[in-house]
Amino acid sequence: MSGSDASPAASVLTRRRFFESLAAVGGMSLVLSGMEALGFSQASATELPPTLTGGAKNTKVIILGAGLAGMTAAYEMSKAGYQVQILEARDYAGGRCQTARKGFKHTDLLGNTQVCEFDDGHYINHGAWRIPYHHRSTLHYTKSFGVLLESFVNDNDASYVYFEKGKGPLNGKPVRKGEIAADVRGYTAELVAKAASAGALDAPLSGVDRERFVAYLVNEGRLSKSDLTYKGTEGRGFSVHPGAGVNPGPGKELEPFAFKDVLDSNAWRVLSSVTGYEQQRTMLQPIGGMDQIAKAFEKRVGPMIRYSTVVQKIKQSPTGVTVSFKGPDGKLGEVTADYCVCTIPLSVLKQIELDASAPFKAAMEGVAYAPVNKIGLQMKSRFWEDKHHIYGGHIYTDLAGIGSISLPSYGWQAQKGVLLGYYAFGGEAARISAKSPADRAAFAVAGGQKVFPEYAENFENAFSFSWHLAEHNLGGWAEWGENGRKEAYPILCEPDGRLYLAGEHLSYLGGWQAGAIESAWQQIAKIHARVQQA
Amino acid sequence: MTFAYRLAALALAASLAAPAIASADGKSLYMDNCSACHQATGKGVKGAFPALAGTPLVQGPPKVLITTVLNGRAGMPAFKDDISDADLAAILTYARTTWGNKGSAIKPAEVASARAAAKAAPKPRGLQAH
Repeated sequence: MSGSDASPAASVLTRRRFFESLAAVGGMSLVLSGMEALGFSQASATELPPTLTGGAKNTKVIILGAGLAGMTAAYEMSKAGYQVQILEARDYAGGRCQTARKGFKHTDLLGNTQVCEFDDGHYINHGAWRIPYHHRSTLHYTKSFGVLLESFVNDNDASYVYFEKGKGPLNGKPVRKGEIAADVRGYTAELVAKAASAGALDAPLSGVDRERFVAYLVNEGRLSKSDLTYKGTEGRGFSVHPGAGVNPGPGKELEPFAFKDVLDSNAWRVLSSVTGYEQQRTMLQPIGGMDQIAKAFEKRVGPMIRYSTVVQKIKQSPTGVTVSFKGPDGKLGEVTADYCVCTIPLSVLKQIELDASAPFKAAMEGVAYAPVNKIGLQMKSRFWEDKHHIYGGHIYTDLAGIGSISLPSYGWQAQKGVLLGYYAFGGEAARISAKSPADRAAFAVAGGQKVFPEYAENFENAFSFSWHLAEHNLGGWAEWGENGRKEAYPILCEPDGRLYLAGEHLSYLGGWQAGAIESAWQQIAKIHARVQQA
Repeated sequence: MTFAYRLAALALAASLAAPAIASADGKSLYMDNCSACHQATGKGVKGAFPALAGTPLVQGPPKVLITTVLNGRAGMPAFKDDISDADLAAILTYARTTWGNKGSAIKPAEVASARAAAKAAPKPRGLQAH
């Protein structure tokens, strides 16, 4: 906004003054609609929880699942006066917002039990692990609950790309991403700039100022202004860094790679003009682990949660919902409420006896769940920082089953560190998850060794997690196909009787905490409107 | 999967009527891609992953089965981006003819046509998700 006020002439109507004049004549609501019209609005349905005014009329709500969707619903509804109870299958809250640190125990469906052995202060976010700046809903709660955030380095030019399925001299070698970016863009800009300045692009550039276009390319590709040639650039790095005196003095710039070699390597696949919507170059993470968010919710709704309580059956009548469960002592019990918010993943819910209409149940079959693997590897030194000068970010690889290796954004320059040794999806994840935890770790270490010669000798211990093998999850996130999104999804977004589903699977922010939160917001607003009308 | 294997599988499919016996490759591909959930025994995990042994879907009409694996369904992931037509034919032939199952063999061409019908062309995966 400040830029828009920097108008040179005082007589020009700046945007701020325009809004001020609107406020003077029409009050704040006119200002807001004016801002919306000009595209300045921050307000949207996804920004803040719904306002649940008018009283809860003694209404009871049973919530299934104490993940972010369930705890959001419980927090907002209990504040509005609803009588809320949450059933949670695990003995802790958070759902997929969980963090492994010393003592964290997990037994997968194959019977592999792991107890995390990381040193104190170290952790891996094996579920949710980063927050986009535009996930205002997640950020609403971190801010209001006082969960402190730090930067999550989601892109790092100093980090390596390791591709071994390409060809040429760069194939199978770790290469810094910034070197690849400088070269492939520099050479491309050179080609286009030379063609344009020779007039070869005049037809497609009709109406475009040729000089400005070439100037942009010189800037973009860091070309020589005199001959429009790319000869490398200091930003891609030095073999001898500049320093004091005459030695090292000016240092020695790295030579660019040949254009052909860069193209042959496939490493350019990691480059795009701008990141995807969900993957900004700098993101956010809670200090101390993602589960700080879960714990902050738990602090507020903990007394409403019945832990180690596994839902067995969901029955509906015209007046209420009865949920049967198996409690921590193995004893069966049931609870009845006026409404039910069910946040159980569809992969799990479809195996629970459920009173719902035939179309609703058929719709539940319309979604796939993603196999997802992560592994935290504790390293006894932070060689990636000390020896390779990489502080956070990802090593992208074309190694099946590894995907990317991610360097921690917490604890820079600490003695030890836990890095993410693989992050893989789909069939690749299914394959590696069939291995024992020790073999998964060995696989991950062998992959990382191809990038860092210090990898294996620094490895101390591992904690691996496969979301498709986690009871009560059976998958990392819902994956809607085109048909499922069209046919099944809208049905599940609407209540069936007194049953309301919520979770990341009922959003277009699939797999993100914001999807869980905003889906809960949407459903509790519907329940509240119904209660007000009743 | 190695390129050499794919070629071999294609050659096999082209030159012979597919044998009704599961190949050794079908077994190892099954172990790699499927056994984490459905188990080496084909018995699945109760309450989580359905059994394949003795299951009508597995032994029934090929098209439904192929489409289920390509696009996923009811919690099962979609494998369209991960498994080639030839490999999927080998895997399904293994599952349809093992553990007492009595299904017919499936040819790569059947997978290809089911893939086209289900609009399940593989998409290159992004660098990361979430």
